[in-house]
Amino acid sequence: MDPWALTADALREPWRLWTGHLAHYGWGHALANAVALLVPLVLLPPRERRRAALALLALAPALSLAILPGLGAGEYRGASGLACALWALAGLHLAGRRESAAVGLLMLAGLGIKLAAEAVLGAGFLLRAEGWQTMPAAHLWGTALGLGWALPGSLRRRPA
Amino acid sequence: MPRPAHPARLGAVLVLLATFGCTTPATTTRRSSLMAYLYPKEKAAPAPNPTGARLKLPLRLGIAFVPGGTASWRVQNLLGPGEEKPLLDVVKRSFKDRPWVGEIKLIPSAYLRAGGGFDNLDQVARMYGVDVVALVSVDQIQYTDPKWYSFTYLSIVGAYVLPGDANDTRTLIDAAVYDVPTRTFLLRAPGQSEVKGSSTWAHREVQLRAHSQKGLELAMADLSKNLDAEVAAFKAEVASGERRDVDVVDRKGVSLRESGGRNFGGALGWPEALAALLILAAGLRMRRA
Repeated sequence: MDPWALTADALREPWRLWTGHLAHYGWGHALANAVALLVPLVLLPPRERRRAALALLALAPALSLAILPGLGAGEYRGASGLACALWALAGLHLAGRRESAAVGLLMLAGLGIKLAAEAVLGAGFLLRAEGWQTMPAAHLWGTALGLGWALPGSLRRRPA
Repeated sequence: MPRPAHPARLGAVLVLLATFGCTTPATTTRRSSLMAYLYPKEKAAPAPNPTGARLKLPLRLGIAFVPGGTASWRVQNLLGPGEEKPLLDVVKRSFKDRPWVGEIKLIPSAYLRAGGGFDNLDQVARMYGVDVVALVSVDQIQYTDPKWYSFTYLSIVGAYVLPGDANDTRTLIDAAVYDVPTRTFLLRAPGQSEVKGSSTWAHREVQLRAHSQKGLELAMADLSKNLDAEVAAFKAEVASGERRDVDVVDRKGVSLRESGGRNFGGALGWPEALAALLILAAGLRMRRA
């Protein structure tokens, strides 16, 4: 079994809680996820970008622990769960500012459409020919964690 | 004083010219049958191993043309010397970039005996050290139909100058992949093509031979595309447990059937990545404005 993938062994080998999001099934898989991670980082203002990167470090193990029960004896690889967290986080942040509200809402809408498509289309849409399947729960948990991380800051910014 | 030609006689002569002057439609069929090769004895067809196939990755794959009728493709002059390899290379290329294929061997059709069955396939697989063999069978029909002005062939000059033959070559290729040790059928993919053209009577055979070759090439290219999709579907079926007679064991000894349903990935498709880039472009444009 891959030493970097997220498996039940993560409870004994804790690095897997982070590296599971870095390991991928191939270059195509990794590249698409890298694009998804880069887009919100580019759109955020430089100061927020640093904060978001630090947030990812904290969100990665939280996301791993959230999806671990669903893995059983299997493994998980891929950064798209984290990418969903980042999209939610950045989307909420940008939506809370007048000058970038449109982009933020566009990001949140795109994320919502993706999650809805996965829920509606199901396993036929998610099963990859290489023998693994997309885990929608990772995207849902990622989105929830991203929103949870960004919501307090977003509420603080709003005038009473 | 010569008698004027009677209109009825003249008409009869023209009808005779048209009838016998025109070439008659002709059909040529070239066929190699997978069933005739693998199961020559109808009542003693070998049953596949009841335990099914357990394919060990990386696969060692062989590719060969099925012998047609009573002899190999080459012996039947269906493929000239040196023509077989480029055609099989098309199939080879579709497997080449697959990480689960270790080596691919092109097996000359001369090594396959007409009606040789699995015994012959066993011998060839052992000889080439392959476990899985893709057997390519071909069904090619060539039609030649006379055009209305083909009666001009009677003038001899017309047979060399006027393209009065309509030639149509239809090719259907089928690749069936078998696990040889367990005699288990794994998957199949079709490829087809149609080549049309016109020729003079004198050039007909040359054009039919050229179309035969071109038809095979086009059908092979089509087969290659379909094979790609079929292999992907096959792997998905094994991973999901739909194919109970086949299992694939990866390099680490992990069964795809056991792990396939439980290996998860966090993935975004390319359409989603493209949408993300569009949002990025919109965001950057708004920021500048």
